[in-house]
This record gives sequence, structure tokens and C-alpha cells, in this order.
Amino acid sequence: MENFLALAAGLGLVWALGIALIGALFRFAPPRVALPAPWIAGCGWFVGMIATTLAMRALSVAGIAFGVVSIGAPLLAITAIAGWLAWRGRAAQLRGTLREAARALHGGGLDGWQRLAWRLIVAWLAVRFALLFAEVWWRPLYPWDAWTQWATKARAWYEMRSMVPFAGVSEFLSAPVDALLWFDAAPHYPATMPLMQTWSALLVGRWDDALANLPWWLTGVALAVGLHGGMRLMGFRPLAALAATALVNTLPIVNVHVALAGYADLPIAAYLALGTIAALHAIRTRGAGEVVLAAALLLSMTLVKNPGKAWLVMLLPAFVVAALPRYGVRIAAGLLAAAVFALLVGARSGVTLLGYKFYLQPVVHWGALFDAYFSYANWHLLWYAAVATALLGWRHLLDREVAPFTLAVASGLLFLFIGFAFTHAGQWVEDQSTVNRATLHLAPLVVVWMFACLRGLLRGSGEPAPAAAPAS
Amino acid sequence: MTESNPPPVTPPVPVESAPADASPRAAAMPVRTVALRLGAVFVAALVACALAYLALAVPGKWFTGAQPLAWGARDLQVTRGAGRIVGDELHVLPNDPSGIIVVSVVTKFASVDLAQVVWIAIDVPDDIEISALWRSDYKPEALNTLPLPALGGRLLPAAVGKHAAWIGRIEGLALAFRGPIAEPIRIRGVIVRPLDAPEIAKERVREWFAFEGWTGTSINTITGGADLQDLPLPLLLAAAVALAGLAVAALYRWRPALFPLGALGSLVAFALAAWLLLDLRWAWNLARQVEQTAATLAFRGFDEKRLAVEDGPLYAFVGKAREAMPKEPARVFVVADSHYFRGRAAYHLSPHRTFFDPRVNSLPAPQALRPGDWLLVYQRKGVQFDPAQGKLRWNNLAPVSAELKLAGRGAALFQIR
Repeated sequence: MENFLALAAGLGLVWALGIALIGALFRFAPPRVALPAPWIAGCGWFVGMIATTLAMRALSVAGIAFGVVSIGAPLLAITAIAGWLAWRGRAAQLRGTLREAARALHGGGLDGWQRLAWRLIVAWLAVRFALLFAEVWWRPLYPWDAWTQWATKARAWYEMRSMVPFAGVSEFLSAPVDALLWFDAAPHYPATMPLMQTWSALLVGRWDDALANLPWWLTGVALAVGLHGGMRLMGFRPLAALAATALVNTLPIVNVHVALAGYADLPIAAYLALGTIAALHAIRTRGAGEVVLAAALLLSMTLVKNPGKAWLVMLLPAFVVAALPRYGVRIAAGLLAAAVFALLVGARSGVTLLGYKFYLQPVVHWGALFDAYFSYANWHLLWYAAVATALLGWRHLLDREVAPFTLAVASGLLFLFIGFAFTHAGQWVEDQSTVNRATLHLAPLVVVWMFACLRGLLRGSGEPAPAAAPAS
Repeated sequence: MTESNPPPVTPPVPVESAPADASPRAAAMPVRTVALRLGAVFVAALVACALAYLALAVPGKWFTGAQPLAWGARDLQVTRGAGRIVGDELHVLPNDPSGIIVVSVVTKFASVDLAQVVWIAIDVPDDIEISALWRSDYKPEALNTLPLPALGGRLLPAAVGKHAAWIGRIEGLALAFRGPIAEPIRIRGVIVRPLDAPEIAKERVREWFAFEGWTGTSINTITGGADLQDLPLPLLLAAAVALAGLAVAALYRWRPALFPLGALGSLVAFALAAWLLLDLRWAWNLARQVEQTAATLAFRGFDEKRLAVEDGPLYAFVGKAREAMPKEPARVFVVADSHYFRGRAAYHLSPHRTFFDPRVNSLPAPQALRPGDWLLVYQRKGVQFDPAQGKLRWNNLAPVSAELKLAGRGAALFQIR
């Protein structure tokens, strides 16, 4: 019980830190439009996670041993200061926001069948997260890469109370016997998620790789909350925003990455989706605070998993389209064409990018791709719905509000296709080992795009919106 | 620091096209009526898709009245090769260089209306020859064979209904393997069943709702029930959504008042309903998994949990090894035939500075090991230790001086001298 309280308090501090930092940010650079409470709350966890792990990196560089106090005290101080800055002079407003959020959680403001649907979806999600919590809480570290290349670092850093270095094969083998150098299957992988495990273990007071994985469950919850807030920020009504949240959080592959915690794919999916929503919102409002939040979320991707760098580049066409609505599509198309051309040239000369060697001759395992996306249970009906959305809504794909999301999803899918067809990653499609994990990064954003497109389609068709209420 | 008043902010504007009461048709029709009507269309589409599938899948009569027959592992005989019963499975291996295994069962049933033979076997190598065999009273001297494909370590069913030799009373069934078989093939039994509509429908439902527990591949892919499925549920539901959407679109053009949500809105409703059905199945599977996890892992200490999972014996040995090793992180080389055990042992040894080959079952070059290093061997063939001389040797390379610090079943810990 003590462990649980310490863990809850320490991880709660991470979340509170993120919320306080965002609050303080918007204190000095006020938002141009009111930000929904779930948006700030959801993003708070992801900002807090990066802030916490940056602080741990700083401590390690400074030679200060990891400990609950050495990490927790500065975090608490920063949270208190940032929280005070955010709260000061706006207590009444923030209290109102919190009251509104609490009311919204119960479906307040909705009537009839919409309120019933809201409550059923919230209850359904609550049951799902309860089941996932049990799995995370009880099951020791389970999936393969988690114990060959992610938690390996956390375990060493926890025991050594510092970010001791990890090295590749030749460096490790050539080092003196007593050199403080560690090895795992991917020594170059980013430190953020292992540092969160390290922090959890410090809170528990011993290495327990079931409890150390609690940040994954919180990542799932925060993604749900943040995505709901993001959809509200995009102007969707509460029920539609909740439906999008439910679609993402009921995807079996998303649930699996919470239950079998230890991989960085779910966190990067969250950063990608929330970062894109934040960036497109920032481009629209041109608010300094919005820009800083978006930059923080997007740049964090590079600290979570190496493909984060590629995702950052892949989002550029979307941002160009959003920033320059008149010429953006042409510029973005030019960028994509240039990227494809560069890849073809690179493939011809046998270039290796982020560890992937490109081949000019594509090998596409269509059958395996079909199984992964359409036959197996990984995605429910997500990819059927995405194809139907693109076919039915093709006239609206480049509407002003939809185009950035269309470009983000299109360039993301192009990135995945090039990876699967023109590199050795193709074999990971055939054996179903990576295709779904890599696609998971993009999945929440695909749901957001579908909703944006559907909204344009419903506007264009003159049909009543699905959220429209028949008389009850 | 001066306190500044927050500037006025604009609330986000809902931008859905239609306000809640935009449609007079929607306002006029109660929700229940709309839901029932859409539900009826969706169920009709689902039934139509299921019937269309059965029309393609049923090879003969839709209703035969025949019942499936089953034989378990204990009913089977190993005619060639070696086998032993483990739980409810028969584990078989070849016992001569021919690499042949034959497993058989004596039967006595009429072949009429029984059209499929399903051998339930696990860990079947994909690159060996496999045949289903049978004998009938029509030509007792003839041994009839049918090649049997394996996929993902399992055997696909053999469709025998239209085979010319599937006739009369079947007096024996057999399964033959030939090829390089290193690990035991696990056979759970054989089922002979009719391929009529009820049996096929039952089989599909069984496949969809088969429990899919966590495995090493769950993090990569979820099949959604049985490993092999003839008709994946997402495919059937997607077809039903499309058909229902088309039906509503046609009816909407004819009489729009029937569907106040419009064709597109109805399509969205169908898609959400199908999603919910898939999610109910997934949630049920997840709940069963949690129940299983609770039974084995809940309310236990960390070490207890670790000992209760798949690599419990390895964890126990590593625990003893850690006691034999210094407290300070030492450099440890880990070797095992299975890359699962290499990685797990290295992880359990942390924070010792472990080295293992994550991909290839290799042994380190002897010169890579230096005095003071440690070597943990776990279920690894080809490593020899001469205690008299204190020499370790592998791959016929130069021996290495070492001291045995701990020995276990198929496992040992050495310190290099």
C-alpha cells in the first residue's frame, strides 16, 4: 500500500508538473481561444513526462545520484511555482473550468439519448482502463523488446542511481573488464521511457518491473483525455469528441500496448496525435503559448523513439498547408515529390537512413498487409473506415480545415509504405512483427482526420450530422 | 512581477454543420424508432452476408444431420517414430534418420456426409512433408493420402468430402510427417466433421470466440480469436456495414423520411454498431485474460510472480547466480540456444553488465573473455568444461581457464581466470 501511495504521488507529481507548466505558459502567453480543460489535462501528462526526464538527465550530467528527493524535490518546487503562476489572479476562472470539466464528465449539458450515450461510453472506457490497469499492475515485464532494449536501461539506471552509459558490441567488448559500460540490444535508443521506469522504481523503492510500467497506463489515460480535449479544441461537440476518443482507446493494438507495457510505440502515437493537433491549432491562432506547447509536444517525439525524427519531417507538408492555405497544397505536394525523389536517388545509391537501408526494387507483401489491417483484430474497422472516408469524402480532403490532416495522414502512410516496400522492414510486414506497431504511431491521427473529413462531408451533403438529436 | 489581467478569450465554436434540431425529419421521429429501423437493416445485411458466405463455403448439402466425431491424444498410436503423452497432447519425434513419423487411430464410421478431417497439431515445421491418410472398407488394401499444408505451426483442415477414395466406412485415419523435425510436434487429436451449414457456422463462431491469451507475438498482432480463421469477423462486419449502407442509400433516395439520419449518417451508425460488436468480443477476451492473470499473478510478491511465469526456472537459477557473484556490476557473457533465454537471463542479471547476442545463437570468441569476466550458460549445447584442468571450451576453439561457480540443471556459471 505504501508503494502504491508513493507511486501514485510521484506519478501524480509528473502529471501535475505538466499541467502547471502549461498553465504558467499560458499565463505569460495567453491563449487566443479558450482551451478545453481536458486538452490541458491530457497534454499535461506528456509535458510532465518530458520535463521529468529532462530533469533526470540534468541530474545525471551534474553527477547527482537519482533518488526520490533529488528528483522529486526540484519537480515539486517547479510544480509549485508554475502552479502558483498559473493560478494567481485566475483562481475563479480556473475553478470554473474545473467545475465545468467535472460537470462534463457526467454528461452535463447533454440531453436525452446523447447524455445516455455519453455515460455509456464513459463507463465503457472506465471498464476498459480498469482491465488494463489490472494487467499492468499484476504482470511483470512481458514483451520482447521491453526486456532486451528498453527496461534494460531502466534497471541499470535504477540500480546505479545514474544514467550509466550503454554501448554497442565492439565498444563493449573492447572496453576494460572493469569499465562501467553496459550493453543491450539497442544501446542508442532514447532514454525517456526508461527514465520514467527508473522514476517509478525509485518511488516504489525496489526494482519491480510490473509497477515500473504504470506510466504506460497513465499514457493511455492521458491520451484519452487529451484526445477528447483536442477534438473539443477543433470544435467538435462533446459527444463526437468522446466518440473519437473511444474509437482510439478501444483499438485492440492500443490496448495491448498498455496491457503489455514496455514499448515506446504508444507514447509516440500520443505525442504525434496531440502534437499535430496542437501545431495546427497554433498555426491557426498564431498564439505564442500555443506555438510553444506544440513545439514541446512535437520535439518530444525525438526523445521518445528514433522514428520520432522521421515523423517530425513527415508532418512538415501538413504544417505548410495549414500556414499557407492558398499555395500550401502545391508546396506540400512539391515537398512530398521531392522527398520521394530523394528517397529514390538514395535507394539507387544504397543509402541508409535511421538504420534502414533503401532498395530500389520494391517488395510489397500485400497479403500480409491486408491481414494486418483488414483481417486480424488489431484495428477493429479502422482501416475500412479510413478507406471509406477517403472515398466518400474525396471532395473534402483538401478543404481548408481538413487538408492539413489529410496531408499529415497521407505523408505518414507514404512514410510507412516506403519503409515497408523499399527497405528491409518489408520482412517485418510478412511476419507481422512490426507492421502494426509502426502503424500504431499514426492511428490516433487517422481517427482525428476521419472525423475532420466526415464533418466536411456532412456539411457538404446537407444531411443531418450523426450527432444531431432526433426527439427522444 | 506584475499581475496582468488575462485577455478575453473566445470559446471554441462548435462547427458541426447541423445543430441538434436541424432536421425536421429527425425531430419528428423518436430515437427508438430510428434505432430499431437501422438495427433491422443492419441485422438483415449481416444475415445476408453470412448466408452469402455459407453459399460459397458449403460444398454440398446445407443440412446433413451428421455429427462431428473426435479422437483425443490418448486414442492415437505412434506407428512410426517416438511419442509420449504430455497432458492432453501426444508429443512425437522421428526415431530414425528417415525423419518419418506416423500417427494413427482405428475408426469405424460412415464417410457419407463427413467431409473434413482436422488434425489438431502444434509446432509443426512449415518445411516438412505432411500427409493425411485413411483406409476404407471399400478398398481395404489401399492407403489413401492427401497432402496437408501447415501454416504458422498448425495444420490446415483436409477437405476429403469430394475425394474419390473417401467412400464407404472409414476404418482408420493417420497423419504422416517426413523431414527435418528437431522439436517435438504436439498432437491433440483429430476431428472428422460434416461441412454442412450449421457445422461451418458453428466452427466460424468458435474461431471468433476462441480465447486468445497473451503470447510473445501479442505485442505485434492480435488475430482476434483462433490463430487460423476462414472468415475473419472484421471482414464479415465490414461487408455487412457496406451492404446496409447501400441498402439505406437506395431506400433513402426512394423514401427519405424512413431514415432521418440520412444515408451517410446511417452508414456512420452502422460502422459504430459493427465497431461495438468487435469491441464487445475484444473486451470479453481481455476480461478472460485478466481473470487468468489474476489467478496466476495477483497479490504475489515480485519474486513469486517471476517464478510463476514462463521462465521461472531460469529466474530461479539467475537468482542463485547473483548470489554467487559480487555485488558490484560485473561483466557477464550469457549464452543459450534459445534467444529467448539469452535475453531473459541477461535482463534478470542486470545491473550486472551483461552481454548476449540478441539475434544469433553465437558464442563469444575466447579472446573476448578476460580474467574476471563471468559466463552464464543456460541450456546451450556445445560448451564443455573440464573440471580437472579448469578449462572451458566451445566450437573447438582454444580453451579458456575458468572456475565453475554454480551448476544447475542444464545451466552453469563460470568465472574466467
